[in-house]
Amino acid sequence: MRLFFLPDRFVLMAVFTLTALLAAFAFGPYPLSPGDVLRALRAGPWAENDTAVVVWNLRLPRIAAGFLIGAALSAAGAAYQGMFRNPLVSPDILGVSAGAGLGAALAILMGFSLLWVQGLAFCGGLLAVGTVYFVAGLVRRHDPVLVLVLAGVAVGTLFSAGISLAKVLADPSVQLPSITFWLLGGLNAVTTGDLALAAPLVVAGLLPMLLLRWRVNLLSLSDEEAAALGVNVSRLRATLIVCATLMTAAAVAVAGIVGWVGLVVPHAARLLVGPEFSRLLPAVLLLGGGFVIAADTLARSATAIELPLGILTALVGAPVFLVLLARSGRTT
Amino acid sequence: MSLLEARGLAIGYRGRRVGGDIDLCVATGEVLCLLGPNGGGKTTLFRTLLGVLPPLAGVVTIAGRPLRDWSRLELARQIGYVPQAHAGLFAFTVEDVALMGRTARMGRFSSPSPQDRAAVGVALARLGIAHLAGRIYTEISGGERQLVLIARALAQEAKMLILDEPTASLDFGNQLRVLGEIERLKRDGIAILMSTHQPEHAFKVADRLALLKTGQIVAQGMARATATPERLAVLYEADVAAVAACLPATRGKP
Amino acid sequence: MNRRVFLANLAALPWATCFAESTVPRKFFVFGQLPPPGRIRRVFAAGAPAAVLAYVLVPDKLMGWPWPLSDEARALLARGQRDLPMLGRLAGRGSTLPLERLVALKPDLIIDAGTVDETYFSLAERVARETRIPYVLVDGRLADSPRQLRDCGGLLGAAERGERLARFAESTLLSCRDVRPQGRPKVYLARGADGLETPLPGSVNGECIEAACGVNAAPPSGVGGLARVSPEQVLAWAPDVIVTQYPEFHARAREDAFWKRLPAVRNGRLHLVPSQPFGWLDGPPGVNRLIGVRWLASRLHGHDDGIDWVGQARDFHRLFYGHAPEQDQLARLLAGV
Repeated sequence: MRLFFLPDRFVLMAVFTLTALLAAFAFGPYPLSPGDVLRALRAGPWAENDTAVVVWNLRLPRIAAGFLIGAALSAAGAAYQGMFRNPLVSPDILGVSAGAGLGAALAILMGFSLLWVQGLAFCGGLLAVGTVYFVAGLVRRHDPVLVLVLAGVAVGTLFSAGISLAKVLADPSVQLPSITFWLLGGLNAVTTGDLALAAPLVVAGLLPMLLLRWRVNLLSLSDEEAAALGVNVSRLRATLIVCATLMTAAAVAVAGIVGWVGLVVPHAARLLVGPEFSRLLPAVLLLGGGFVIAADTLARSATAIELPLGILTALVGAPVFLVLLARSGRTT
Repeated sequence: MSLLEARGLAIGYRGRRVGGDIDLCVATGEVLCLLGPNGGGKTTLFRTLLGVLPPLAGVVTIAGRPLRDWSRLELARQIGYVPQAHAGLFAFTVEDVALMGRTARMGRFSSPSPQDRAAVGVALARLGIAHLAGRIYTEISGGERQLVLIARALAQEAKMLILDEPTASLDFGNQLRVLGEIERLKRDGIAILMSTHQPEHAFKVADRLALLKTGQIVAQGMARATATPERLAVLYEADVAAVAACLPATRGKP
Repeated sequence: MNRRVFLANLAALPWATCFAESTVPRKFFVFGQLPPPGRIRRVFAAGAPAAVLAYVLVPDKLMGWPWPLSDEARALLARGQRDLPMLGRLAGRGSTLPLERLVALKPDLIIDAGTVDETYFSLAERVARETRIPYVLVDGRLADSPRQLRDCGGLLGAAERGERLARFAESTLLSCRDVRPQGRPKVYLARGADGLETPLPGSVNGECIEAACGVNAAPPSGVGGLARVSPEQVLAWAPDVIVTQYPEFHARAREDAFWKRLPAVRNGRLHLVPSQPFGWLDGPPGVNRLIGVRWLASRLHGHDDGIDWVGQARDFHRLFYGHAPEQDQLARLLAGV
């Protein structure tokens, strides 16, 4: 099957992701030598010392979450860019992030527990996209893709206004910082429990994408072209939106809003392996996972106090994006 | 037997009727050419015949079965569509673009198989563009892109093709190549519905002509008898003498 | 120069943006014409710390709360101020109260306590100029609490009360001064439901640690403010004591495998402090923290045994908040229920 054949560019990406993975295990605020890490990894997760706790209970879930979130956001971004026929689209084009942000902000404002913050963030993301899809469905006369994007912008703005309102109402010294930190995104609080909640959702979104990998290509054609080639366009588009939303909302619920990943990674991957989705998908999964792991490693080891991951991905992502744009010299 | 048949068809969007009373049929091994000015409803008609736009009234049947009873996949095995060459957005290879024509021949969850690649190779070779297979679709010329889209429709192995101004963006050589290919397809028993702005192209390949203006079929029939200079002059709001001067000599066609 | 002259001078200087005796570092600033203390009847607090300051000094003159107080918090306040409306805060673009509404409220004075820098100067100056309402900006540092209470007491016509509260503040802030630097435990102040937000050294939100002669476990970063940290960092910092105002985190830390491993938690030095009606350690960063400093200092330096904190809290509430809650109400507060 073509999906699993590995030309040397895939080897390159695998090397990048593996390097990021090793670096992520090696670096961190708790001083551990690479030898310590190796010993702890060999000793297994049941050893009763701080090294084992750091490596197995703190770094491992965080690395796994980094990969999961990077892969999810990048895959969703790649799918959206194809389906909206626009390489500048990011996974929150339909308002997922704004919806999730509002859900989380409300939960923090109400003083709900952590699980509720995540749950409401996830539901808020789904609700925003659901609203967009519903509103777009009411408009028949225009290009459905354009309508979706415009409805996404409108609903996103509406939910963002809700976030601003929540921030205004929040206690400035107690709740406001929590909301702000949540919106900046980060993996510092990720636990194995979060992973157990998010991973099935991401996989549930990824699976249909993997199965439909060839047909996703056809959504980048005009609707009548894709239809004439045998694709039920609106059903396929709806399926992909559900998948991408599920993945993005799960990622955002765990890590907050981590920007740029879903925009930059598909770009970079397309330059490496081309736009054909059955090659693009494994590439974005690898690159996206590696990118977030690398950014998170930098976030937690570059300074004494962690940098918010969302800021770092933007700091790294935006210049990389510009370089790619300048060097590619063609629309990818 | 007519592969595609439209009876009393009204076309348009919800709340905006573009045309009506359209009767059309295309039989196996027949070329029907659609002539008419821009804005006459050709695109809307094509969208309706492809089942993308629901008809406002009337029925379309494909191989004797109402259009709405066909699934997209089954329909794609009956009718292929060649749009006007577009720029394309993502840097797909020519082979990938042509392989998209094989979608209706694959399983729902499959990627192209070696057989699909072979079929695409044949289709590309048939149009003389096998050498473009590895090139990037967005980087080839407009004419080459048009040929790729026709190759994609060939790879689809449909029983009928709908072509939207297939010669519009081609140079003279490629126009001849495409017209020749249309004649060959017709001989292979493919039904063809195409639109064109050049009556001489219609005369070259069409068995029958339909003149479409403001959503109405104003005339339909054998090519030469239908597209008289007088009718064309009315159709395009041009001077009769000027139209006559541009048309090829009547005895040109066997 | 005595205070009366000082104030008179201030009042004589319209739109003064800076005024200070050369020997006294500037600690409070007046914009606009300051009315005499007797004429101030309606005080608008621009932010939460200022509201607490005004509430403890002149409860009857406080017009409203700048943020929405919870029902639990209101239940612990003096009857007269329990039902004061939420008016909103003034903080430049972060304001939740339009200036027009402020004018309509007709306060005699606007008071703000907290950070004193150019941003807040310009904000105060602009508000005073546009509304013609005098604006007092007070440096809200915890270490300066005695002076805040004295100065504002005088300013608002409650000099005697201000003096009494200032004495309490002084004795609180001096309670641990003889602790030697090497004897100071490392304190991690856990904020947020997951306990992973913390004030950095120098941050206004973490002042109570230094005031109680502890050392902030987070490393100095030069900027202060709040930070989001990871469990790995907390492990690396190895705090001796963990304090929090969040019951959810307190409960979680005693259950969670990671937190349970930390020496501070193992040694029973994870502490929950009340966050109502105003936080003991922070939230808002006002004079409400004085009780927290007392409590934290005795926890940190091991002379906690035998202190009746319910009684202490009751005294503090009576003295500062003008209302002594019931014994069991305070017991619940201290237990974080």
